[in-house]
Amino acid sequence: MTKYSKNSAAAAGLANCLGCGLVSPVEKKQCPRCHAPLNLRKPYSLQLSLALLITAFIIYIPANLVPIMITEKLAKVEYVTILGGIIELWQDGSEPIAVVVFVASVLVPIIKFIILFLLYFSVRFAPGMSITKRMMLFKLTHLIGRWSMVDIFVMAVLVALIQMNHFLSVLPGGGAIAFAAVIILTIFAANSFDPRILWDNLPQSDVDENK
Amino acid sequence: MSGLQHIACDLCDLLIAAPTIEVGQCALCPRCKHKISRLRPNAFVSLFAYAVTGLVLLVLANSFGLMQFKLAGNVAQITLWQSASELYFDAYKILSVLVFLFTIFFPALVLLMIIMFLITIKTGIGKFYMTSLLRLIFTLIPWSMAEVFIVGIIVSLVKLVTIAQMHLGWSFWAYTAFAFCYLKVLSLVDRYQFWHWIEGWQHD
Repeated sequence: MTKYSKNSAAAAGLANCLGCGLVSPVEKKQCPRCHAPLNLRKPYSLQLSLALLITAFIIYIPANLVPIMITEKLAKVEYVTILGGIIELWQDGSEPIAVVVFVASVLVPIIKFIILFLLYFSVRFAPGMSITKRMMLFKLTHLIGRWSMVDIFVMAVLVALIQMNHFLSVLPGGGAIAFAAVIILTIFAANSFDPRILWDNLPQSDVDENK
Repeated sequence: MSGLQHIACDLCDLLIAAPTIEVGQCALCPRCKHKISRLRPNAFVSLFAYAVTGLVLLVLANSFGLMQFKLAGNVAQITLWQSASELYFDAYKILSVLVFLFTIFFPALVLLMIIMFLITIKTGIGKFYMTSLLRLIFTLIPWSMAEVFIVGIIVSLVKLVTIAQMHLGWSFWAYTAFAFCYLKVLSLVDRYQFWHWIEGWQHD
């Protein structure tokens, strides 16, 4: 039997419906108010979330190596990867925008990977970090995940706008698909992780301390 | 939050007696400090006003040019719709569809469904789809990226400004105003508030 955190709804056999917020006995299987399936915790949340994140991590490699954009300037073809595009922006003198893109497309995915892996490990092994800090990190992953889409949108706008044949044109590259897949997978991974299991695996003294 | 005896925190599952909160107050989880619910003043009217305004602005954003590009006598202009649709070729159909869904379709659908929900609350028309409607609204919210798209437009503008003459069209300003309304709507969305309205209407 899994142990649930002290004073939690689950410890009393009650399930909090994530659809409507009604608390009802878990035996009902379905929320009496909104008919969503009732579970004490999201089923297989750790496994599902970990699987999605590992997939994202693998796809992250081609996402960075394969060009996301191909530009053709006077018949000269250039392949632009995510990092290459940022370096180009920096050299063109638009440093602030280069920083924005760097944060959105490079830092945010990496931070997300680190935080989520850290949270998974803290469920199984002794966490070196207080629960308050870990909850903050969890909320952060939800907040920042979507911002990585910036690069995909930039690519879409440039491809639509710049079509002057060999004089100057922009084409999408395969890296963009991989990158979009990484972002979508990490959003799913963050959504399927159930933060309540962090509290369940806490030593009792820590729970009381935070009350 | 009348009608409920107990509520549990979404993030840490602490079971608490349902508090009575006044308009303008919010309920915080005593253990993890998560904001469980917040009652905004005039939530119903504001939600309706911002959602309708947002939809009108989105229609406007689709009626003008988004961005213009001038280089050596060549002029190119795109609309909001084209920023997604021009990608629709070869292997990139999927990206084109994703851009369309994230920037136009999902935000529009969320606003539309909120309006439908509010109308059902007021008039009782469409009770049978209410639950599915609410579930769909909450599923789609993480996938609407209007504010991210604005940053994307600005970044592409800055990328091109060094090589060409750039001009932002009316569509950009309409879209920005739409994104503002959309974010306002999101700040007013509250599960407990919504179900409180539904239950109030069921007792009538």
